[in-house]
Amino acid sequence: MADAEISGLADAGACLSVTDVACAHHPSRRRRLSRLVLIALALLFFGLFLLLPLLAIFAQALSKGVSAYLDALIDPMAWAAIKLTLLIASIAVPLNLVFGATAAWAIAKFEFRGKSVLITLIDLPFAVSPVIAGLAFILIFGAQGGLGAYLRLHHIRVIFAVPGMVLATLFVTFPFIARELIPLMQAQGKDDEETALSLGASGWQIFWRVTLPNIRFGLLYGVLICNARAMGEFGAVSVVSGHIRGLTNTMPLHVEILFSEYNYAAAFAVASLLALLALATLAGKSFLEWRQPQLRQARREPS
Amino acid sequence: MSIALRGIAKQFGQFAAVENIDLDVPTGALMALLGPSGCGKTTLLRLMAGLETPDRGQVLFNGHDATRWPIRDRKVGFVFQHYALFGHMSVFENVAFGLKVKPRHERPASDQIRRKVQSLLELVQLGWTADRYPSQLSGGQRQRVALARALAIDPQVLLLDEPFGALDSQVRHELRRWLRRLHDELHFTSVFVTHDQQEALEVADSIVVLNRGRIEQFGVPGEIYDQPRSAFVHRFLGQANELPVEVSQGRARVGPLDLSDGSEALKEGNHIALVRPHEIEIGPEAAGWPARVLAVRVIGSIVRLDLCAAGRPLHEVLEAEIRRERYEAGRFGVGDQVGLRFRRWKLYAAASERSMAEST
Repeated sequence: MADAEISGLADAGACLSVTDVACAHHPSRRRRLSRLVLIALALLFFGLFLLLPLLAIFAQALSKGVSAYLDALIDPMAWAAIKLTLLIASIAVPLNLVFGATAAWAIAKFEFRGKSVLITLIDLPFAVSPVIAGLAFILIFGAQGGLGAYLRLHHIRVIFAVPGMVLATLFVTFPFIARELIPLMQAQGKDDEETALSLGASGWQIFWRVTLPNIRFGLLYGVLICNARAMGEFGAVSVVSGHIRGLTNTMPLHVEILFSEYNYAAAFAVASLLALLALATLAGKSFLEWRQPQLRQARREPS
Repeated sequence: MSIALRGIAKQFGQFAAVENIDLDVPTGALMALLGPSGCGKTTLLRLMAGLETPDRGQVLFNGHDATRWPIRDRKVGFVFQHYALFGHMSVFENVAFGLKVKPRHERPASDQIRRKVQSLLELVQLGWTADRYPSQLSGGQRQRVALARALAIDPQVLLLDEPFGALDSQVRHELRRWLRRLHDELHFTSVFVTHDQQEALEVADSIVVLNRGRIEQFGVPGEIYDQPRSAFVHRFLGQANELPVEVSQGRARVGPLDLSDGSEALKEGNHIALVRPHEIEIGPEAAGWPARVLAVRVIGSIVRLDLCAAGRPLHEVLEAEIRRERYEAGRFGVGDQVGLRFRRWKLYAAASERSMAEST
């Protein structure tokens, strides 16, 4: 049964479902059959739930031909949505990069009062529904909200404008980079930093020359994931955006509007861009994991 | 540079890592901090380096109060058990790190740095590794690079935290002798932490034995081994057989042997006698405490015997160590009856576990 150990779980499952006698009689045939069944099941699941929807998006997007596809993308409203999405991501991701890296640095390398509170707070955006997060921002910055009157007096628009959407995106994507870095930095410990300290390095020198190079792949990975989420965020952004076409529509919101107008080809054309972004993110992630195998072990997937 | 600790205490939450310690490390000393895990030895070392701040007490460098000095002003080289080499830098860059992070007006010119790093690498016999990365080196080589890196800032004190703990025994043995030589050549003050009594005895010229955040004993290696002041030190430095002893009418008896050394008045009550394996002498049955040989293991030049002395339960085995020649001349094997005598032993009061010499 040396072979059985290699093929692992598949055989264990097969042998549990039939009697030991049957297993002993035709071990190789049974084994091959059960292996095929399991592989087929996995492929079927993969195809049905992952691959098919992806293909459907591209099929629908191109259903009226390539020119219609391109038209949908260069439509001014679509173009405005793409630009706004890129703008929001290009503000939210760098900010979260700084917040996430500093929070992870503080949590992994220092002991202080209230550390567990901070860790819980970082997880908050995962626990709160994005719609609730959006509503919370309306409560704070909206016309009826606490700061609404002050903002109106100074002609600052937050809700139903870009600042509000950036805030909502920041909130929703906050945990991604910090969560990525904390386990990695904790696993690396403090020895490198303490050594650098004893060699006379200053805090900045330690961060730039020792800590940052140690976490560079993890950081890049976190940025990728954070960026994907920032561009794809729907709920929170939808609540604070006000859906003003050409002004406060991001790509996911634009897709939704087109879809509810029965303009399927255009909706899926824009959606296909988001899907491409997701694929590019996954490719980047695989590349980083291939370059840095310990990322896979150090990472605890946020649920 | 000399280091002195005055009434140092450090607590982590509820756990008192170090309690009220006074210690003097004279200039040029090579001192070992020895103790079981959790005894506070690493904390003590980190307090000297400035990686921890004491809750109470003072750290003096050359007599100056250095308690609040930042690490970079202490001129201390620190070496970790797991080397802590910077994995993304070559060996050269690792060693050069301490020179390159100096403020501009103190930083040597780049060819000066190059020369210095190269000479340090020669010193640790690794001149050929300058362009390698730490992952391409063996454990022993990495630890030597870590040492060269610590020496680059011209420290006056070298602090080593279990420097050989992660290495296999052969490499360890070589590095110990090498460190000893290096220390004698360069004349800095060194303190190293270890849980390995052999390492402490072999390398250091003074040893501090720590237990539960306190100093159990301080002295030169031979003295600590021969005159342990407590049963803890006795047990921790080398092996020891433990025998319960009842003292009555000023006599300490175990089996037919009289262990009263006559020098001190013995208190009545329960005591324990600690006897090292090599302090047990084995002769003919009539000439001592009768015992049966349970097992014989030949370990190179010595032979280790498991013995069961008459009147003691079978599982309480006495371990004896004799020289190979002595064993081969003795003509006894497993199952034979022999007679035991103790060349040396030490009595401790069972309750306090303090040495008799200490309590009188």
